[in-house]
Amino acid sequence: MEISGSANMGWARVLIGGMCLVVLCGAPGRVAAQTTGQQATTQLDPAQQGIEVAAAKPDALALPDAPLPSLEGGAPLSASSSLQTYAQNQPPSTGPSLGDLGLTPADTEGSAARQALMDRRTHMLKIHQRLGLITVIPVAAACISSVGAPPEKGNYSDTTSRDIHIALGATAVAMYAATASYAIRAPRVSHEPARGGVKWHKYLIYIHAPGMVLTPILGAMAYNQISSGQKVHGIASAHSGVAVATAASYGAAIIAVSWPIHLKF
Amino acid sequence: MKKNSLLLFLLLTLPVYTLLNAQPPVPDQTWKLDQSSLTYHMSHPMHEVDGTSHAALGKGVCHAGQCDFLVAVAVKTFDSGDSNRDLHMIQTTRGAQFPIVQVRFRLAQAGLNSPTLDCDLEVQFAGNTAHYTHVIFQQTINGAAHHITGVVPATVSDFKIDPPTFLTIPIKNAIPVRVDMVWHAM
Repeated sequence: MEISGSANMGWARVLIGGMCLVVLCGAPGRVAAQTTGQQATTQLDPAQQGIEVAAAKPDALALPDAPLPSLEGGAPLSASSSLQTYAQNQPPSTGPSLGDLGLTPADTEGSAARQALMDRRTHMLKIHQRLGLITVIPVAAACISSVGAPPEKGNYSDTTSRDIHIALGATAVAMYAATASYAIRAPRVSHEPARGGVKWHKYLIYIHAPGMVLTPILGAMAYNQISSGQKVHGIASAHSGVAVATAASYGAAIIAVSWPIHLKF
Repeated sequence: MKKNSLLLFLLLTLPVYTLLNAQPPVPDQTWKLDQSSLTYHMSHPMHEVDGTSHAALGKGVCHAGQCDFLVAVAVKTFDSGDSNRDLHMIQTTRGAQFPIVQVRFRLAQAGLNSPTLDCDLEVQFAGNTAHYTHVIFQQTINGAAHHITGVVPATVSDFKIDPPTFLTIPIKNAIPVRVDMVWHAM
């Protein structure tokens, strides 16, 4: 009994010594694996890594709760796919900076003055848009009323229809001028050439702007000729043609900035 | 004698065990965004508009198993095919005052080769910050190139942007951003 007891003690010492060595030699590896979390999966294939990542996430739940996804203002995000978050996936508070990307302060710093300029431009162009759409009404009315403007069968004395046409035409020209003034006075914020529909919108100015000047001049000439009992002749006879071209190009200019239209309600 | 041989065996085998058990140190890594295509989609009852930027810059830094990424793109680089609309977009999103859109996210370095990436995004845009959790991106790895695609479910209201109107009808709130990027480890 004495001998077997001492032998057992000896074995126990060997085992304890061996276990201590195991702990001393093996522990750093395990500790490293625990502290670095998913580093242990680097040698696995991608599918296994996914499993390992999923398995590692519950460990992260022991960390303090991550803030719930929300706007800074506090309103919840409907777009968020889930409210469950993991600390390890939280966006970092540190990391690369804009400077690391090669961006200079000149690239990243905004300008409140430039923003104010753009706000003013947008405000003026919105008025331009609104007035332009309203101007369609007198332009269309002037075109329609032109049917009754010429003297009927040599009756040069009845001027009512002609007067209505003149009034509508004058209103159209005045509103067109007001519309144009907002576009002209809007601050220019880019010197790049126009692209897209606005390019055609600008090209069409070369038709309807001179047309809006010529049409009333030719109309006044025609009016004077009719008032003096003459038949409309000379350049004044181009009044209706110029007016139609002007109205058509004006309409095209509106469509140009609205195209393409995809109705989808 | 037996004790000594066992002790010797343990002493000889333990270093081998230790070597097998030890974790290889994960090296610090830097990632660079090589190519990108970010496309926002805007819906209006009369218009469907896509604006694309290929000018995003990005960098990722991995340290201690965690990778912090930053993607930045200038608001003015988005092209919808209409210069007037683009200028209006810059004005509406306060792009002159806040010219850069920044997206930050963190990923575990071990998961960078996964076919899907689950990202929690912090997006700074128009002077506001919004968080999008669990945005899934698909990844295909072709050699050193990591091709990432996905959609960020952004909305106009997330960034307190007044939705622009056309004929007094505002655009839809959702402005999803399609992401198509190629990253390289440096």
